[in-house]
Amino acid sequence: MKERDEERITKLLQSALPPVSADAEPGRDLWPALLRRLDAKTVAVPWFDWALGGALMVFLALTPSTIPLLLYYL
Amino acid sequence: MSTHPHLRAYIAGLFIPSLVLPVMLFGGFLVRSMLQDPFPFERGLIFPLAFVPLLWGLWNLLWLCTHERTRLPISLHGALLPLLLLPMGTCVATWLGILSLGNTGATWFHNVFVPYAWIAPCYCAAIVGYYLIWKYVVGFLNRVLGIA
Repeated sequence: MKERDEERITKLLQSALPPVSADAEPGRDLWPALLRRLDAKTVAVPWFDWALGGALMVFLALTPSTIPLLLYYL
Repeated sequence: MSTHPHLRAYIAGLFIPSLVLPVMLFGGFLVRSMLQDPFPFERGLIFPLAFVPLLWGLWNLLWLCTHERTRLPISLHGALLPLLLLPMGTCVATWLGILSLGNTGATWFHNVFVPYAWIAPCYCAAIVGYYLIWKYVVGFLNRVLGIA
C-alpha cells in the first residue's frame, strides 16, 4: 500500500514538473553582474542613526568639558 | 577564514580602542603641558589602557558566542557595554584618586568638574556613541573578518 502511494506520488510529481532541457543555463554569464552588484553595495544609514549622531555632536559641542570623561570611559 | 573565529572577534573588538588610545595619550599630554596645575594624567590611563581594550575584545567575543541564541543586533549589544564600563571606570577612578565626589558634582583629574545633573546626559551620550560605533565600525570589521 505504502509503496503504491510512493509510486503514485512520484508519477504525479514527474507529470507536474516540466522536464529540464539540456540547454537550461541562463542566456548570459551572471557572475560579472553579481560582482558589480557586490562592488556597488553601500551602507545605507537610516535617518534614526543620523539623528543620533547629530544629537551626539551637538551635545559634545555644547559641553566640551565632558569629552575627556567620555574618552576616559571609551 | 573559517578558523579561529573567537580570536578574530577579539581582534575586531580591540580595533577601536587601539586607534583612539594613542590620540587620547597625545591629547592628554598636550593639555597637561599647557595647564598651570598639571592633573594626574598617568593614573587616569590605567583604566583606558588596561581594562577598556580587554572589555571591548571580550564583549565582541561574547556577541559572537551568543548572537545566534539571542538574535541581539551588534549595535544594541555594544550599547550595553557602558552599563559595565561606567561603574567599573568610576570605581577605578575613585580608587586611584582621580575622581572626587562632592555635594553638587564630581571632579575628574582635579580639574574637570561635572555637576551630577550632567551625569545622565553624559551616560546617554556614551550609549549613543557606543551604539553607532558598534553598529558601523565593529559590525563592519566583523563582516570583513568573516564572523558576521
